[in-house]
Amino acid sequence: MKSNSTLFLRLAIMLISLGLIIHTPLHSAQKVPISFDEYHGYISTVKYLKAVAQAYPNITKLLEIGKSTMGRPIYVLVISNMKTGTTIDAHVELRNMRKEGVKNVNPMMPYQGKPGQWICGATHGNEFTGTEVCLYTIDKLVSGYDSESEIKRLIDGKTFYICPIVNSDGVHNSVDKGIPQRQNSMLKDDDKDGRVNEDGWDDLDGDGRILQFRYKDPKGQYIVDEEDPRLMTRLRRDEKTDKQRYAVIMEDKDNDGDGKRGEDSERGIDINRNFPEGWFQPDGFAGGQGDYATSSPEARAIAEFLTNHTNVLMAQNYHTSGGFTYRPLGTAPHPNLHPKDVAVFDFIMGKKYLELIGEEVPEAWQSPDDLEKSKEEIKKTSKNKYAIQRGYELPRGWRVSYNEEQDRRYNYGMATDWMYMQYGIYSLTTELWNPRKDIPDFPEQEGDDDYIKVQRELLKYQDEKYGGKLFVTWKKFKHPELGEGEIGGWLPNYRNNAWPGDPLRKVCETHWQFELFRAGLLPDILITDIKTKVLYTTNSAKEAKAIQRGDQITIEKGQSKGKYKVVEVTVKVENQGKLATHVARGAQLPGNREDVIWLIGDLDKTTYLLNTPFQKMGVLEGTMKIPGYKGQGMPPAASEPRRQRRFFFPPGYPMPWMGRQQREPTKVDQKGPSRTVTWVVAVEGDTPLKIVTTSQKGGTKMKQVSID
Amino acid sequence: MNAKKLFKYTAALILTIIMVSSAPAFAQKKQQKSPGGYHGELDFPISWNRYYAYAEWTKIMHDIQKHYPQLADIQSIGKSRMGRDQYLITITAKSTGKHTEKTAMWVDGAVHGNEVNGITCSLYIMWYLLTRYDYDPYVHDLVNNCTFYILPGLNVDANASFVEHPNTPNNPREPFRPEDNDGDGLYDEDRTEDVDGDGELSIMYKEDSKGDYKLSANKRRFIQVEDPDEDVQRFRRISDEGFDNDGDGMINEDDIGGPDPNRNYPSGWNLQAGNPYTMSEPETRNAYTFMLEHPNIFASFHYHNTGRLIMFSRPPTQEQRMTDEQRRRSEEMFDQYLEELRKANKYAQAFNIQVKPEYQEDMRAQTEIVTMGARIMKNYRPTPSGGMGQAQASSYDMLGNYAYLIELWGSPAFDADENDDGRVSDEELLKWIDVELTGEGWVEPHKVDHPDLGEIWIGGTRKKHISRTPPARYIEQEALKNALFVLYCASQFPKVEIKDVIVRPASENLYWVEVTVRNDRIYPTASDRAKLLKRVDKDRISLKTSGNVSMIDVPKGSATIDPADPGAEAEVITKEGTEFWLKGKQTLRFCTLVKMDESQGWVEFHVKSQHGGIDTKKVNLKIGKE
Repeated sequence: MKSNSTLFLRLAIMLISLGLIIHTPLHSAQKVPISFDEYHGYISTVKYLKAVAQAYPNITKLLEIGKSTMGRPIYVLVISNMKTGTTIDAHVELRNMRKEGVKNVNPMMPYQGKPGQWICGATHGNEFTGTEVCLYTIDKLVSGYDSESEIKRLIDGKTFYICPIVNSDGVHNSVDKGIPQRQNSMLKDDDKDGRVNEDGWDDLDGDGRILQFRYKDPKGQYIVDEEDPRLMTRLRRDEKTDKQRYAVIMEDKDNDGDGKRGEDSERGIDINRNFPEGWFQPDGFAGGQGDYATSSPEARAIAEFLTNHTNVLMAQNYHTSGGFTYRPLGTAPHPNLHPKDVAVFDFIMGKKYLELIGEEVPEAWQSPDDLEKSKEEIKKTSKNKYAIQRGYELPRGWRVSYNEEQDRRYNYGMATDWMYMQYGIYSLTTELWNPRKDIPDFPEQEGDDDYIKVQRELLKYQDEKYGGKLFVTWKKFKHPELGEGEIGGWLPNYRNNAWPGDPLRKVCETHWQFELFRAGLLPDILITDIKTKVLYTTNSAKEAKAIQRGDQITIEKGQSKGKYKVVEVTVKVENQGKLATHVARGAQLPGNREDVIWLIGDLDKTTYLLNTPFQKMGVLEGTMKIPGYKGQGMPPAASEPRRQRRFFFPPGYPMPWMGRQQREPTKVDQKGPSRTVTWVVAVEGDTPLKIVTTSQKGGTKMKQVSID
Repeated sequence: MNAKKLFKYTAALILTIIMVSSAPAFAQKKQQKSPGGYHGELDFPISWNRYYAYAEWTKIMHDIQKHYPQLADIQSIGKSRMGRDQYLITITAKSTGKHTEKTAMWVDGAVHGNEVNGITCSLYIMWYLLTRYDYDPYVHDLVNNCTFYILPGLNVDANASFVEHPNTPNNPREPFRPEDNDGDGLYDEDRTEDVDGDGELSIMYKEDSKGDYKLSANKRRFIQVEDPDEDVQRFRRISDEGFDNDGDGMINEDDIGGPDPNRNYPSGWNLQAGNPYTMSEPETRNAYTFMLEHPNIFASFHYHNTGRLIMFSRPPTQEQRMTDEQRRRSEEMFDQYLEELRKANKYAQAFNIQVKPEYQEDMRAQTEIVTMGARIMKNYRPTPSGGMGQAQASSYDMLGNYAYLIELWGSPAFDADENDDGRVSDEELLKWIDVELTGEGWVEPHKVDHPDLGEIWIGGTRKKHISRTPPARYIEQEALKNALFVLYCASQFPKVEIKDVIVRPASENLYWVEVTVRNDRIYPTASDRAKLLKRVDKDRISLKTSGNVSMIDVPKGSATIDPADPGAEAEVITKEGTEFWLKGKQTLRFCTLVKMDESQGWVEFHVKSQHGGIDTKKVNLKIGKE
């Protein structure tokens, strides 16, 4: 009947939609809720990390990698399938060890046997947008494990090391206490008055916030904006004006009666000037900060972590602001990078990044294999000798911090340079947050004074969409030393961090997509084929010894050993991932090694007749053709190469390392993404054999060998 | 102002000088009854004829500190990777001031695990200072005026392993950070072992008709076969004694330990030698942190083996672009110059390097110091050194200390060289072991069964304690002269003293008061490097006066007080005090113009130097007849 069928149809629709609601919830497996309507700060971040580690014990592990000066732990959340993965030390049996029994080596964790990716935020304490992006990334990964096959594949086969807050003290002060702090904390008597950290910023009016204090000052550098009197604009150095001049300082008074304000605060050093790459000036004096590179507990924690987790091949260090990404280098110019790495950075990662942030990809990148024409074009107009060498200028969104026009370094001791040059990691520093792009429907500004126009629009926007809560109206206040003035201004956390809510979520999503893309580039080593061929069998082999005296050789036969086979084992190993297992010169760096393959068996029952128990395979290439790379090597240096000082060994000085006259491991002299490796072994009985291929950053895989 | 009046006023002025001396007079507490030297060593006897295990030498440190609590404190500056404490002893006479207030000497030993001679030399300095304080005026003054921070064993894990377990002379050298030396993915998995259980680690050989080695005539050494046709039992050299622990076909290819700790320091650090990162090892980081936290350290010694070298931290040099001909001539001239110097003093030192102009004083001071070092140590050779992440380079480059790396001990030629050719041949060495060491020190070649290699031979090497480090009977003589050099350097720490105060009347009640300040030690009050690093405050002279005496504001500049002595320029002291730098063996003159109302008053000069100490001098002025 017509009415019956309609009823049945309606019932069916109801049941189906009910089923859909039950079986496909909005967040399929999000066990720990998270919102991006407020900054997390240190305390909430730690709470979240602990909750995630507890809720997802099969795919996460929380590590404490160090402590800040004030004792706050620095956490790394490992995201990887804890039940997959293997490492070489689990397979090699060690015998006849030294009786001294020193236990200085810890067994490796299975997730160290997979290619690794490092993501961190808030190296600068007041740049915690990166923390939010890290938390967003964690949420996407752990929530998506059960439902999205790509994420499951990544978590099963790779390892993510996510450190949302590097600078615990800085973030705690900036967000939890409202006192912005870019640097780490240090217990140091900066003004040498015998007291430590006694004079920092102060909440003068007791409203729980550190804002700004403005007061009329004939020598002041600020004037009130003519359009929006809430804004203070800074005059250029020699600019003249007939408007009332103001001085603007952070809310602060003289706490220790020495006539100075804020001269001995908790602020220490800039952690991103404390890493060992390019820390010294050429004349041997310190260029970076701190007493020496890695003097800060935070930099040391990262250095120690990367030293002990050598499977990291990708790294992202989030900073704010600007809305662009730095790739190496900042401490040295273009010729110091291998052209293969430049090609991977620019034509693969850079291209994707620019697409994600909606910026134009340089024309030259459309045809990276043929840059001759762009080089000709650039020579005509550019003064940047490195752009001419490369064949293109770096775009706004994807750049280096080295000042190529003026041919000088940006600064000293920065993390991204160090991770690339000393650990062989594709490292990046993304400066998150460009309000003009990341705030939905933000009006476009053009013209010379677009900075002030943007500021006015931002003020208006937060009036409307944030209830005016991001900017505090100026209120009269009498300063104990400076007299009459006003307290107010932007809440410091919103000056250079993505605004919570939609803008922050947009920033998070864009950069989660980018790191997801990069994770997809990681290598993937597989043992794709094992063939065995028995060359000879005997049912009662005898141990034999050959004694040679001149031309006469006597073979002495010993005891019987039972069934004995001589087997040829042929193994095919492939890197099925997109990138090679190392950056261009990565395998030569101290602490790194080339890819290696072992044939492991019971040492009492296995004899290696052809080739050594482990063989060196070089670096396995990836499957992806690198655009713009044709096999060229390092270019001639554009600047003076760093001179190595030679240590003089006086004559007769006994060298502690005497050359060994031992057999070197077999080198598998093949190129490309795969290797075919052979052994011939003599095995007794049915003793088991296994193949373990171990690539430091490409992963470790094991397969049993079955002899037919 | 005419000479007559000047004479008149000079005659009318009487001045009295009160000496305010800063050092207490030496009170020899204990009298020596028997001749031949001080016997303080009987108060705390230590046998120097052996190397001590970690537990033993740290106990010695603790016990001696308890015996001399008024002169010493002991602390742990941190723990090594495997959890051993790094003990440091602070020596100074507490009765004359706190250790942080005195200029200090730093001594560390055995940063390399197998170079344990540094432990005994450091302990010897500690013992020498403490036991002789009551007897020896020289030591008494040093311990009163200076501080000594002594860290005998820096790389304590490797030190303990080296002494207490069978080892080759060369290992373990590094701290115990795991490192994959053979690139197989495993860390520290194949170490040396005592295969035959004889308590010694030697070298393994295998009989092989194609081998390159044969036994010497007396069967005690393995030597290379020179004549390829020689018909003799041949051997192939395998490696240091050990087993193939990981079954990869190689032996001892991945021994314990990671980076070279003496490439781990900041100055000149590079990844190749100093990996994984600057100051990565807790042992070196603890030591360097202590130096950073004690800016009163002025000079440092770092003990190593081997080579009999006094390697002093070299200041930055100038680039010298010379043609080959110019270089040859310059070297010729330098050799001639050195030859001339050595006619008068065979230990004279000079170095053909050109340091940057702002480091002239450092080069001068170092040259003088190491000249004396060569004289004290007799057969050690001074040579400039620097960079490469070494401890003494950082001590100078980053902290401004005068720093020395001493390579202790060397060839036993002085005892073993029979044919006087200046070298010790292999046979001379064996004879020396047989005679001077009465047979103890050589591993004789012998056959052993090896589980992986079958029948092998082990031997033909020196035992670990007679190779890089002196055999026990030479420990004390080596330690004594090194201690004397360290003490000599401490005795040359800068000391600012007010020497003379002279008053010359200028007019009726105006008087020029002139003061001479001197530092008659070799070291300046601050090294050039420390000044450039801004780690030292300038020396400063200021003065106080009695109420009726006031300073006249004279513009800054130098005044010639005595027209008869035009060379006698003196710098005017301003009301806030005047800053200056006092070099080694330098005298400076200062003056001030004062007015005195009434008939008597006083003027007191105060000199303060961060490393040179303080001195004061008060002058009483009285008008009348003497």
